[in-house]
Amino acid sequence: MKFKIKYADQIVGLFIIVALAMLAVIVILVGVNQRWFAKDYSFWTVFSSANGVSPGTAIVMNGFTVGKIDKISLNDDNKVDVYFHIYDTYYHLVRRYSLLELTVSPIGLGSSLLFHPGTGDEPLPEGEFIATADSADGQAWIEQGLVLIPPKDDTITRLLAGVNPLLENVNKTVVTINRTLTEVNRALAGQSSGPAGTIVEDLSRGVAKIPRTMDRVDAIVADVQARTAGLLDQVSSLVLALQVVTKDVGTVTGNLALASDELADPTGLIPKLLDPKGSLKTLLDDDNALYKHIISIVEEIEAAVRSLQGIVTGLNGEMPKIAAVLNETRVAIQQAQDVLEGVKNNPLIRGGITESAEQGSLYGSMREGSFE
Amino acid sequence: MKLLSSLGSKARSYSSRLLYALGFFYEVLKETGRFFRKSQVGYWVLRNQILFTGYEALGITAIMAIAIGAAVNVIGSSIQQQFGQSQLMYSMLIIVITRELGPLLTAFVITARSGTAIATELGTMVVHHEIEAYMAVGLNPISYLVVPRVIGVTVSIVILTVYFNLFGLLGSYVVAQFLNPTPTPIIEYMGKLLSILTVTDVLSGIMKALVFGMVVSVVSTYQGFSVNRASTEIPVAGIRAVGQSFILIIVTDVVVTLMQYA
Repeated sequence: MKFKIKYADQIVGLFIIVALAMLAVIVILVGVNQRWFAKDYSFWTVFSSANGVSPGTAIVMNGFTVGKIDKISLNDDNKVDVYFHIYDTYYHLVRRYSLLELTVSPIGLGSSLLFHPGTGDEPLPEGEFIATADSADGQAWIEQGLVLIPPKDDTITRLLAGVNPLLENVNKTVVTINRTLTEVNRALAGQSSGPAGTIVEDLSRGVAKIPRTMDRVDAIVADVQARTAGLLDQVSSLVLALQVVTKDVGTVTGNLALASDELADPTGLIPKLLDPKGSLKTLLDDDNALYKHIISIVEEIEAAVRSLQGIVTGLNGEMPKIAAVLNETRVAIQQAQDVLEGVKNNPLIRGGITESAEQGSLYGSMREGSFE
Repeated sequence: MKLLSSLGSKARSYSSRLLYALGFFYEVLKETGRFFRKSQVGYWVLRNQILFTGYEALGITAIMAIAIGAAVNVIGSSIQQQFGQSQLMYSMLIIVITRELGPLLTAFVITARSGTAIATELGTMVVHHEIEAYMAVGLNPISYLVVPRVIGVTVSIVILTVYFNLFGLLGSYVVAQFLNPTPTPIIEYMGKLLSILTVTDVLSGIMKALVFGMVVSVVSTYQGFSVNRASTEIPVAGIRAVGQSFILIIVTDVVVTLMQYA
């Protein structure tokens, strides 16, 4: 009988038992690996959003999974209650001031839920609330150094960690500006009873009085304009006259300056004029001979001018005749030109003028000749 | 008119066969429930069925599992490493081996090996009037011939699926280490694998194997009994058993998968 048939029962039994045993081992290993038989400690927290938080999400501390999220639910305050458990291996780390922090990868590689142990003395009892890092308590504890937060180990996270406080400051500033603007808007709308509202109310009363004040100011300005119009004209004419006078005064001053220079010159006009041997003294001390001689010259010139005036007057009378003579002369010249053109163009007497030899100049430079 | 009568005749024939198949299936289920309560000689048939269907198919199943597991291991680790998602290789391995290909390929192998054998054997018995002989001596052919085969094939497929998972997940690791320039330590590999593998994954594969086993065995026995009197019908019955089993396996795979993910 074949071995297989002879030991069929044993073979089949072994075949099934080994498979079932392996299956059981796998299930047990899976159970051990997934902590079916281990004690877990439950806690809860509150997040503002369920993004990145879902049942089964691992809670990580320094790269180790220390727990997992069991359940999430939306509470009455529209926040997300998150129930989670921490493995018994890491339960001693869950102390007072412990925090949970949800970090989202800036490059879209998902999110991770980090656990930061607190510095309290005793472990928190099971079922306690654990704050999140973005809550007011969490922020205060972090600032006071009550939470052990390891340094971020990647550049982007470190940069973001630096950027986050800045963004929070900007956010606070924006919130403050918004509040201020809201207060201003309310004050402008007359709904505020604070100091800004009082100021705005006073301001609006003052603004309401401005038109009346402006009317009065306009009337005063018109009156002043009317009063000053004539005055301005007079002032303008006076200014013009003063300009002319100033110009004359300038010229006089210039002459005076020139005269002063001349007078100040020790070899100038005054000594020459006062010199008893000078030409002026000599010329003036001749018993009016020079004066008389000048008078006679002037008289002769006057006579000559009268004679010239007579000639010019006669010439003026002859001018039409001279013009007629010149006109006739011009006509005659034109007729002579026509006659000469006719003679030139007459074929019978063409070539009629005998050529004459030209006499060269007798004077010539030595350089004008050639050396031939 | 002739067309209508032809259509009506075919519809009546199909519905008649469907009702017969459903009645056959009901009878098999009923007799299966009684099988373990009654001490029968059917145990001997069951043992032999598991021996021939399960144990003898272990070799080819193991080779297939190791080959496919190693391929998934190598391809997955090289491709997903490029995207920095090498962790996904374990998820892929579990989905491919445990949830899908394990039960499916095992069912295909059993259909090809044992489905035809069962249909041919039962068809031959019908042709040789052995079924009538069983009935003549008071043995119910379904409880004696069909139920042990159904249970044997179903148990074999379930057990072979477990082996397929073992060889696919662990045996492939050994092969992949020879191909991988940077081998992964077995502790690390097992740790990551077991952290991702869930009991649901294992039960899902076993559930599929159970359904496929029922499909293959019932279809094969049904086709075996569908032979009337001519020996030429026997290979036809074998072919039909394989064809219908393949189709029903794929259909039930889709249905079970949808039920699991719904």
